[in-house]
Amino acid sequence: MKIRKPELLATAPSFLWLALFVFVPVAIIFAIAFRPALPAGRIGEGWSMDAMRSLKDPIYPSLLLRTVLISFFTTALCLALALPVAWHLARLPPKWRARILILIIIPFWTNFVIRVFAWQQILHAEGAIAETLRSIGLLGETDRLLGNSAAVIIVSVYTYLPFAILPIFAAAEKFDFALLDAARDLGAKPFRAFRSVFLPGIRQGLVTAILIVFIPMLGSYVIPDMVGGTDSQMLGNKIAQRNFNDRNLPQAAALSCALTLLVLAPMLLRRKEKTA
Amino acid sequence: MPGYLRFENVTRRFGSFTAVDRVSLEIEKGEVFSLLGPSGCGKTTLLRMAAGFDVPDEGRIFLDGVDITRLPPDQRPVNTVFQSYALFPHLSIRENIAFGPKLSKRSPAEIRSEVERMLELVDLTAHADKKPAQLSGGQKQRVAIARALVNKPKVLLLDEPLAALDLKLRQRLLVELDAIHDEVGITFIYVTHDQGEAMSISDRIAVMNKGVVEQIGKPAEIYEAPRTSFVAAFIGDTNFLDGKITSRIGERFSKCAIHGIGEIIIDNDKPTSPGDLVHLSLRPEKIIVSRNRPELRENENSVPGVIEDIIYFGSHTRLWVRCGGWRICAETQHRTYQLDDTPLNWGDTIHLRWHANDGYLLEQYREEDESLLTLPDET
Amino acid sequence: MKPSRIPLVTTGIVLAFFYLPIAALVAKSFNSSRFSPEWKGFTLKWYERLFERDDILAALVNSLKVALIAASASMLLGTCAAFALHRYKSRLQDAHRMMVNVPLVLPDILMGMSLLLLFIAAGVSLSLATVTIAHITFCLSYVTLVVLARLQDFDPNIVEAARDLGATRLQAFVKITLPILFPGILAGGLLAFTLSIDDYVVTFFVKGPGSDTLPTLVYSMIKKSKELPVINALSTLMLLFTFLLVFASQRLTRPVNR
Repeated sequence: MKIRKPELLATAPSFLWLALFVFVPVAIIFAIAFRPALPAGRIGEGWSMDAMRSLKDPIYPSLLLRTVLISFFTTALCLALALPVAWHLARLPPKWRARILILIIIPFWTNFVIRVFAWQQILHAEGAIAETLRSIGLLGETDRLLGNSAAVIIVSVYTYLPFAILPIFAAAEKFDFALLDAARDLGAKPFRAFRSVFLPGIRQGLVTAILIVFIPMLGSYVIPDMVGGTDSQMLGNKIAQRNFNDRNLPQAAALSCALTLLVLAPMLLRRKEKTA
Repeated sequence: MPGYLRFENVTRRFGSFTAVDRVSLEIEKGEVFSLLGPSGCGKTTLLRMAAGFDVPDEGRIFLDGVDITRLPPDQRPVNTVFQSYALFPHLSIRENIAFGPKLSKRSPAEIRSEVERMLELVDLTAHADKKPAQLSGGQKQRVAIARALVNKPKVLLLDEPLAALDLKLRQRLLVELDAIHDEVGITFIYVTHDQGEAMSISDRIAVMNKGVVEQIGKPAEIYEAPRTSFVAAFIGDTNFLDGKITSRIGERFSKCAIHGIGEIIIDNDKPTSPGDLVHLSLRPEKIIVSRNRPELRENENSVPGVIEDIIYFGSHTRLWVRCGGWRICAETQHRTYQLDDTPLNWGDTIHLRWHANDGYLLEQYREEDESLLTLPDET
Repeated sequence: MKPSRIPLVTTGIVLAFFYLPIAALVAKSFNSSRFSPEWKGFTLKWYERLFERDDILAALVNSLKVALIAASASMLLGTCAAFALHRYKSRLQDAHRMMVNVPLVLPDILMGMSLLLLFIAAGVSLSLATVTIAHITFCLSYVTLVVLARLQDFDPNIVEAARDLGATRLQAFVKITLPILFPGILAGGLLAFTLSIDDYVVTFFVKGPGSDTLPTLVYSMIKKSKELPVINALSTLMLLFTFLLVFASQRLTRPVNR
């Protein structure tokens, strides 16, 4: 096939940029994972299995499990909240729909670090929520709201919920709500109609929402760092720690390889689904 | 005998808008009953209340003697064929049809045989495993009917079922629908804004306007004896004339003075006495056009006029003729033995002739209904 | 058939969930109490303290520099990419589309890590320049998507109409296509600008000594629990700025939608 010159000209800038700054770097991760580590964050010559072998460390299976579980619960909560919101938006008259949509998006144009910081203060031991919970006995004197996986999940839901709402809303907006009438007409109870007609109808939106929340969650780093504790660290925190504290780049690269594979898995699942 | 499906003083308001205003209807078992009217007349709201998608603010709905006013749609022995078909896009044709039976907890074998029977009825066995998106409009329509009928509803509600199809297909499916009705014998309620559809399929029609039923009757009654100016103008086309009764001619006929035309003879479709102001509906095809002044028989009328507009329709031609202050639409057929020597032309003077029987006295006249006519007088 | 109340109630709760933390933050920035969350009276002293800090100002300047360059560069590259993707259907474009999509799903930490390793392997010392390159990379894909969406809504008949009325190919492009697409391109640039200003993770990995941007500086201040009320004040100002930006972008995109 002959590729014409104008096409090359239009394609080359972005294509080359992405190749150089996305694909080459990802390939380098895999290469450096097999290099020996030198002190002070330098990378040695030659090849070594040390970094890859370090993945056998018994702390990793539980770290991996925790990363997947926190990501899973965040995704599930996001879906549980996004579904009714998207439904409500799709049923609103267009004028109100646009207004509420803007209201949902605006907070997420604000700085991510600041949003997490806001939550850190809210969940703080002397914060209003903690005080209230303590005064009605729901929280023990020594219990804390910060520094655990629940805090990580709540703040993650806060961060990713709009990204779950938008694709589900986009699908629900196109959904023909007469189908629900039809299902009821044919004898389905409300929940049955929801489950066997609405959910399949917005399937593509659901899949997008799941991926859009679950994948970045796997690489989560800031949220566990700021509102989590030692027992709610995720894979991303370990990568940063190996990188900046231990100054062992090959080990950080090896962990990054693991994360890449973890991220690829749901995407491959999706590819399969698309072709099916 | 009270009707099989009965609406009793049903009213439904949306905000300050009254969509359905104290409607009472009695629909017999096994008949095809049409709700006919322009968009926004309340026919679809009435249908949705019969299906259970909407609840009346006032009044009650009975089916086979049972009050179903507040019964949710899944518990009503009533099924709907939706205007958009509302086929489930993720299910095959067979699964679409099996949706209802599967919810009713019948045995799988029974469900399968019922679904196959339905596929045969609507002639879609060959397409049973396709998805709705792979079917043509007419085929989707038949799936929608099969999906509703398989549940053996007491009443089948059809909401503008043919509106999305083109003219020829619409006519063919109308015949098919009629055949299906003859086969299953279920009560059909057919909502449409197309008078042709309603006329050809219905046993009886309720003509609705602005939330109110204007007239209920057999298609011929509705067409030949419209009670109101709305019915006369919405169904087919007509001319409105008004005048004053001057004298009686025996039991049946009266003389009526029409301003600018003179005295004509009318049929006393409703009780009248000299001095009454009356409104007359005169359909274009009832009028015979001739160049020469016709020989009149008993109780016939003839009025001269000048042709203002001519529109050729293929099967017939319509003439708009200026008669005094009136503009009257008349229809002529193209049969060789009726043709005059020369074709009719703008400005020609012609004579309009009709029998007193062919005009109809309206019980109720509203000026605004004039706008429903094809070419109303500009003035 | 009564509609369920669950969707309405959930939407209300979600909106409250979205806005309460922000509102709390704003309220705190005016609270004269240093540590306790109790209200101890209105003050502007945190704002005064904020303006005394040179490091914050320097980080802000860095952030703006990076964001401006990243937004402009990704506008150019992204518009180019969108045109190619829209105009041509070929193997090359299939691969191109895949490359554009990858940064959208690549977790930030992987992008930061991989770029860091690239710079180290290539012997490039980390600076504001490496930060800018990284920002262009993740902004590029977003701009491409925004412009592509605009192109797909674009009615090709309009260009044909222009040609029919006597415009040359170039005239049609300059007088018709570009003006219609311009709000889309600008919206893409605005998105890139906010993404760049917002980024912490990637920047943290590829920044050099002294090339702190606002997020990385704020982050380190939070980690050290230093001057938290000043961060509240800074956050409030940034929120204000963001809202103005959103408002501006709404104004920018609206006339085309109608």
